[in-house]
Amino acid sequence: MRIVILRRKKEIKYNAIISSCISVLFGIAIYLFILWLFNVNLVDAIVILGGSFISPTIVKDFLIICLIGCGLIISFKASIWNIGGEGQFYVAMIPGIILTLIVFNPEESNAGIPSVLVIILVIITGALAGAAWATIAGVLKAYMRVDEVPVTLILNYIAYYLLNYLVSGPLKGKKTYGYLRTDEIPGLYRLNIVLSTPQATSSFEGALYGFMTQVAYYLAVLIAVILVFTFIMWMFKYTKLGLYIKILGANPDYLLTSGANVKILTLCAMALSGSIVGLTGSLYLLVEWGRIPYGIQSHTPGYGYQAILASWLSMLDYRFLPVSAYLVAGLRNTGLSIKIAGLGDTEQSLIILGSFLLAYSITRFISDYEVKFEW
Amino acid sequence: MNNENYNNLILSINKLSKVFPGGIIALENVNLDLYSGEVVSILGENGSGKSTLVKILYGVYTPDSGEIKLRINNTMLKVHFSTPLDAMRHGIVLVNQVPQLIDRLSIAENLAITLSTLKIKSSVFSNIEYVSKMLRETAELLGVKIDPGEKVYNLTYTQKQFIELIRAIMVDAKIIMLDEALTYLPPIEKKKWYDLLKTLKNSGKTIVLITHKIHEALELSDRIVVLRKGRIVGVVNGNEATADRVRQLMFGESFNGNELIKQNNSNVNQHLEHEIVIENLYVSDDHGREILRDVNLNVKKGEIAGVVGVSGSGQRELIESIVGLRKPVRGKIKVAEVDVIHQGIKALRRSGVGFITDHPLKYCISSDNSIVENIALSCCPSGLILNWDLIEKKTREIIEEYNIQAESVNSPVKTLSGGNLMKVIIGRELERAKRVFIAYNPTRALDELSTVRVLNKLKSKARDEKVSVLIASDDADEVLSICDTLYVLSSGRLIGPFNPRNTPRERIEELMVT
Repeated sequence: MRIVILRRKKEIKYNAIISSCISVLFGIAIYLFILWLFNVNLVDAIVILGGSFISPTIVKDFLIICLIGCGLIISFKASIWNIGGEGQFYVAMIPGIILTLIVFNPEESNAGIPSVLVIILVIITGALAGAAWATIAGVLKAYMRVDEVPVTLILNYIAYYLLNYLVSGPLKGKKTYGYLRTDEIPGLYRLNIVLSTPQATSSFEGALYGFMTQVAYYLAVLIAVILVFTFIMWMFKYTKLGLYIKILGANPDYLLTSGANVKILTLCAMALSGSIVGLTGSLYLLVEWGRIPYGIQSHTPGYGYQAILASWLSMLDYRFLPVSAYLVAGLRNTGLSIKIAGLGDTEQSLIILGSFLLAYSITRFISDYEVKFEW
Repeated sequence: MNNENYNNLILSINKLSKVFPGGIIALENVNLDLYSGEVVSILGENGSGKSTLVKILYGVYTPDSGEIKLRINNTMLKVHFSTPLDAMRHGIVLVNQVPQLIDRLSIAENLAITLSTLKIKSSVFSNIEYVSKMLRETAELLGVKIDPGEKVYNLTYTQKQFIELIRAIMVDAKIIMLDEALTYLPPIEKKKWYDLLKTLKNSGKTIVLITHKIHEALELSDRIVVLRKGRIVGVVNGNEATADRVRQLMFGESFNGNELIKQNNSNVNQHLEHEIVIENLYVSDDHGREILRDVNLNVKKGEIAGVVGVSGSGQRELIESIVGLRKPVRGKIKVAEVDVIHQGIKALRRSGVGFITDHPLKYCISSDNSIVENIALSCCPSGLILNWDLIEKKTREIIEEYNIQAESVNSPVKTLSGGNLMKVIIGRELERAKRVFIAYNPTRALDELSTVRVLNKLKSKARDEKVSVLIASDDADEVLSICDTLYVLSSGRLIGPFNPRNTPRERIEELMVT
């Protein structure tokens, strides 16, 4: 017998969505099989798994992963592997804290400045900080040919410890009862909307109100996702910069001979990527955290890394990023739920992630290649 | 099939088909028998499936359907080649246009790698001294002198191609396929190769020749197989074949004999200013050796200048320096009023300079992107927003004008055949060349009809739009037919200018190998 592997002549319709869904089911099957080997009650596990994907708590993770993923895809399309989403996300919080608690603190001065202007300034400076942090790796890559993967990864840890230093020193809060963290951002600068819903009379109503509450709370992030998505789709379809970034990823030598400045384009791709991640970081500060805690490395939900996974799963296709972001957010929720339910610890969430990735790799391979057996 | 024929049959291809992603049919039910001791030429226009057929036989591509039978121990057995090494183990070797040798290693080391990887008496072949001895003996049989210890980067193109052939003989190839391997050999050397191939044929080897030069096929072949759109449209016996008959089969209804009549170029006005000025140029090659010395060259508006030389004489380095891809050791380069050394490629492009360098896949195209995106990169007007309607219109014009076989403007370039890919590059760069067009081997990979069309387009660009054209080539035929002024590059020096109309061809060929 001979196995012949041929690339498919025609793409399967809705390939990305179909392979994502099949791999989730297949991944879950692998995971349940492993649980069964360890005598875990499979009914409990299935309830937790199913619940994690439809729980209202998925909204936050989905939106944040989606937004960071948008930024990362820009650099990935240029074949610049920006692994530094984490660092760019947290560095972007620094100007937010400085502007809201020091420069424009309503309790101390500047009462006349409209809060909306301060919020806009926080978002803009956050985006700029993210861009600047990403550009460090861009400069090293473009001018000194230093590989961006270790640089962006190291910059994540530098960002963690920079924030820790600031939080325990210059930005240390005055009303924190001795805890190491910054003060909380004044309420008029916060962007979270707390929606009061009536008492639910059924589980369906409960879920519906739960989703409504979550969507309202993270409305600012949702608006940012829509705006950034629209901008990026437009940029890649209609602008010269979008075309340059795509070609930079495919063949930088050709870009060079066509007269483009490859070094500047490398910086642009990294800066644009970092700015969107930075924008997400500043929104996360204004909506979710409201302050920066000490010990970022132990507080981080790891969105910067999860967004890398979501971007790759989407095959760098924006249209499928929401699908892959939803899957990653669901898996993240599952891991947490399993831990809470006492079915396992961290390794359980790693097993489910691994099962899913294994299933995804197999389905992607089958969707791209035809496997024939010749006798 | 009579008994004698069957006994001589060495390889039989039955209903071989191959379709590439995007539904492009490269081969459709191809049947072909190869016999011992014959030279078979495979001809066809660009995208006809020649390279696909050869690559299937060499284990690069897997066919979708069909079977290949090979004579093994006097029996025809069904075979599959999953890698080139697999094909080589079965006695099928491919010699390419570009030598596949490692420059930094010696000749013997290169061959030892192949032989030991093939695991034919591996312990013996990993012994460099033994390989060197074998190499000398095989070279002597071919009438060539070779120093096995010589580093490959010191060899000329012709010597490298000889090494490829020697490798084929040393692995005891039964079928030697030459994919445009003779194209860039100097004319004098080419004649030696023809004799050599005939000797190999007489010793029982089967030679498969892929070429776009019909006269070459006519000179050497016992049979000429013509492919069109993935199907065999005719097989002509060598003694019955004529150029017109073969062309008719190759191009079908699109063939118009009048197109092949060479047009004289315009007379260049002596008073027009120079668009390309090169003074005292010294350039090093990739290994830091001085490959060009004191090169001086001027090209006027509307003039077509040609630089011809044996492959590896410095044409590639010359063109790369002129377009700003290679920093010269010293000298001055001015193209379309741009000081190339100090202002670079961007300024050159802005001044209306189109160019094609060596390694078109690296420097001239992005295979993963679509045809329209590749055209957009060079042809879109200034501004931040892309006008896709305009770019798509331009792309359709280029596809039509150059007869590019593609599904649509949005087809990825990687789905095109080598010739069609080259046409996309030529079409785009000629569109871009408002003042100057510079190219190295611009018609490589093109069939005869496409070559003539491109050369005629170059002539009209020079004549009607007063575009200055500089072509460097390893193929004297390409340059001699169109240029107003001719230079020969030999041993690092540029000799000329010559007027190609009153300089005997023999004189040029002699200078090329001086």
